[in-house]
Amino acid sequence: MLNRRHFLQTTAGAGATAALLPGFTRDAHAAIDQVQFFVPANPGGGWDQTARSMEQALKSANLIKGAQVTNVGGAGGAVGLPQFVNQWKGRGNALMVAGMVMVGALITNKSPVKVTQTVPIARLTGEYEVIVVPAESPHKTLKDLMAAFKADPTKVSWAGGSAGGTDHILAGMLAKASGGDAKKVSYVAYSGGGPALAALLGNQVTCGVSGWGEFSEQVKAGKLRALAISADKHQAGIDVPTIKESGFDVDLVNWRGVFAPPGIKDADKKALIDLVGKMRDSAPWKEQLKAREWTDVFLAGDAYGKYIEAENKRIEGILKDLGLA
Amino acid sequence: MDRLRKPETLLALGVIALGLLALYETTQIPVSPMYARVGPTAVAYVASALLIGLGGALLVQSASGRWVSAPQESEAEFDLRALGWLLLGLVLNVGLIGPLGFIPASMLLFACTARAFGSRRPLRDLLIGLILAAVAYFGFAGLLDINIGAGLLEGLI
Amino acid sequence: MDTLSLLAGGFAVALQPMNLLWALVGVTLGTAIGVLPGLGPALTIALLLPITFSVPATAAFILFAGIYYGAMYGGSTTSILLNTPGESASIVTALEGHKMARKGRAAAALATAAIGSFVAGTIGTLGLTFVAPPLVDFALRFGPADYFSLMVVAFVAVSAVLGASMLRGLTSLAFGILLGLVGIDLQTGQARFTLGLPELLDGINVIVVAVGLFAVGETLYLAARPKSGGSVIRLEGRAGMTKEDWQRSWKPWLRGSLLGFPFGALPAGGAEVPTLVSYFLEKKLSKKPEEFGHGAIEGVAGPEAANNASAAGVLVPMLALGLPTSATAAIMLSAFQSYGINPGPLLLQSQPELVWGLIASLYVGNVMLLILNLPLAGVWAKILTIPAPWLYGGILVFATIGTYGISQSWIDLVLLYLIGGVGYLMRRFDFPTAPAVIGMILGPFAEQEFRRAMTISAGDITTFVTRPLSLSLLIIAVLLLVVPLLLRLRSRTDHKA
Repeated sequence: MLNRRHFLQTTAGAGATAALLPGFTRDAHAAIDQVQFFVPANPGGGWDQTARSMEQALKSANLIKGAQVTNVGGAGGAVGLPQFVNQWKGRGNALMVAGMVMVGALITNKSPVKVTQTVPIARLTGEYEVIVVPAESPHKTLKDLMAAFKADPTKVSWAGGSAGGTDHILAGMLAKASGGDAKKVSYVAYSGGGPALAALLGNQVTCGVSGWGEFSEQVKAGKLRALAISADKHQAGIDVPTIKESGFDVDLVNWRGVFAPPGIKDADKKALIDLVGKMRDSAPWKEQLKAREWTDVFLAGDAYGKYIEAENKRIEGILKDLGLA
Repeated sequence: MDRLRKPETLLALGVIALGLLALYETTQIPVSPMYARVGPTAVAYVASALLIGLGGALLVQSASGRWVSAPQESEAEFDLRALGWLLLGLVLNVGLIGPLGFIPASMLLFACTARAFGSRRPLRDLLIGLILAAVAYFGFAGLLDINIGAGLLEGLI
Repeated sequence: MDTLSLLAGGFAVALQPMNLLWALVGVTLGTAIGVLPGLGPALTIALLLPITFSVPATAAFILFAGIYYGAMYGGSTTSILLNTPGESASIVTALEGHKMARKGRAAAALATAAIGSFVAGTIGTLGLTFVAPPLVDFALRFGPADYFSLMVVAFVAVSAVLGASMLRGLTSLAFGILLGLVGIDLQTGQARFTLGLPELLDGINVIVVAVGLFAVGETLYLAARPKSGGSVIRLEGRAGMTKEDWQRSWKPWLRGSLLGFPFGALPAGGAEVPTLVSYFLEKKLSKKPEEFGHGAIEGVAGPEAANNASAAGVLVPMLALGLPTSATAAIMLSAFQSYGINPGPLLLQSQPELVWGLIASLYVGNVMLLILNLPLAGVWAKILTIPAPWLYGGILVFATIGTYGISQSWIDLVLLYLIGGVGYLMRRFDFPTAPAVIGMILGPFAEQEFRRAMTISAGDITTFVTRPLSLSLLIIAVLLLVVPLLLRLRSRTDHKA
């Protein structure tokens, strides 16, 4: 057994070999002691951090013995997903870390592979979006802002992450909810909330949309004013009204979760759901959440599967409204 | 002089061809009816036009014989065999790094390049290539934990 | 001064033993790769990007900065002894430096290069220390329209002073812009020039282009060239400079530094232009202009100083604006991103310890480099005795690591080699390669800012001339374009022959 485990660890390190010998990399019974993470993004990003945090939490909680992370980055996951669905098919110990961004990216890139082809295991973390204006802006509430938008959409410019991403989607949803036309949103895309910050602080754009974490420091410092947050209910520690409280029926969480490849056995699926559930309740994972300021939005199994389907439809709809799908 | 001008002409035609390809690809970019005032094609058209225009200017220049490049070296001697070895090394590397892994692919690339630069001792070059590739592999994959292409050999060591 | 106390804090970071060690590793490695023809700081830092997963940000950037400065020192050694510039910025140094070496004055040429680099590096770092903070305050007033006009200045500056042939320089620039367009358009999410390959949706990595053009292209070029046996000139005779050498060197050092820094800080960036300008300036000012072309020491001292000062200058827009103006800076910026740090006008506020520690380490690294390079020039020159077959074999292997290590995609390797082929053609037909890299970096930047400005102004193109900042920048661009043309018309005797 010792010999065999040693062999497993070395071959698991060799991605190509593991692909040649999938049978060797999983144990016959359902208990999982080696997890292979598939990250459809380059090292360093949010999904990669999630995978590596999971690896640490799982190991320190003694739930698994080892893990491997494989990164196949590109196009918001559209490059990696086909590989996960085809080449990783049937691997009972594999988990892909992805999120809402991938759902959108697959739709805008007209990818032939859909996220619904994977086996959803659990939603883990999430981040809420926030709408901010520069401190000297005349708009005091979200209602003010949306009234200005309805009066003349060309006068209201929105800064946020790349076109078709989470930030853009929220802007479109708000435009629609206020009775306006999503296509009329003058959206100024930056490569993320951080790069958009300079334009906001310099008062170059009317408002900004991005993850709470991207803007929170400037909001606390009084340089930006947060108008509304996209959570479904008021968040402790964040003194900002929700969008719903501001009178628009919109909520959105930029979630991240894990998926198993298609073709796995039911026992494997159960074991994975079980494993991730145990991890979620473990102390090491709670420490990770705290250290990285991630919000726990755990949702597992079939409920998560239904959520993915609904989310897929909702995002496709709004991307169509924006003229991107 | 005439012999010299020919490759320049071909290159100018190549630049024009690249510009035309870019122009064609630009027409294939979907422009959705959107808020963006300047669509995704505007700058793409500019770049294509620039390439075509500059290629044309290069063509004129080469036809009029005003374009003489690197005069001291553009003699007829041209080491085709060396280039061939180098290309073989590159092709082998691309083809083998996936299935065989980094070390064997790099070893061959190293030996072919050495051959292109005039080395006549393939076995010694292969050995040095092997050592270099192995050291580099363990430096990057072992110490820095970065995947640079693991194959059977790397997995077993 | 506030800046001084921040700098003092930076020194407290840079002088920690571990960080000193990182700086030492960086400058040593940087000198070594600078000496090797075909390897540059961009390639080396690209190869080391993976350490960003295991090393704290400050240490990594101190290492990178050491490599960056070290490569500038090392590059001159190769130019002088081998007449094979390690990178485009050292081409001018080779003109006089190699001639000096042939006349048995290699030691003096190396010494004036090293001391000049130290002087310029220190002046440049001082400039960085005091220019970057006020620039940040100014930069926050920049809107997309102003940024776009700034880019126009950059493009004009690059193409107006483009070395041998403006036409070839512009072609190189256009090629770079085309490469920069590949991938998903940020503003509308549409795929451009991806030829149906999903791997191209994120665009072509600037590392692939830089390594392909510089390392692979150079190797192909040298392999195809009939072997003439480029011989390394032995270092012999007394090291150091005579009294006359000092007298002839110190003014070019200062002039080169003052020339190099602002050029480097301009968004046109790069060291090519200031080194050339410095060369011609020294030729004009020299009491012995007849020595130029036969080994004039001013022709080494000035350009080498300009080269190093511009290296410091390049860090100004990188740290103050998040704007990369050279391949190395672009790769350092991607290192910021892999730490989750947003480069941009807010970097100095959000990461003072990192930025000031980095700046302080540049002062430290400069001193280390002077010590490493003056007495040890002979040791570094030994690197050049590595036989060419192994040297270029090794370079191709490392180029592979740099590319394959990022993505593990063979498509990137094919791209690397294709771009290497283009690099070969460019080298063979005397096209400058730097504009291609600059076009690739700045092209998308300019495009995005242009379109952002148009979105914000609701399609009103006059926004570029109604904003005072943008208007002034555009006027500068026009002047840059018109003045050299007028000068050229006045003396339109050359280039006709």
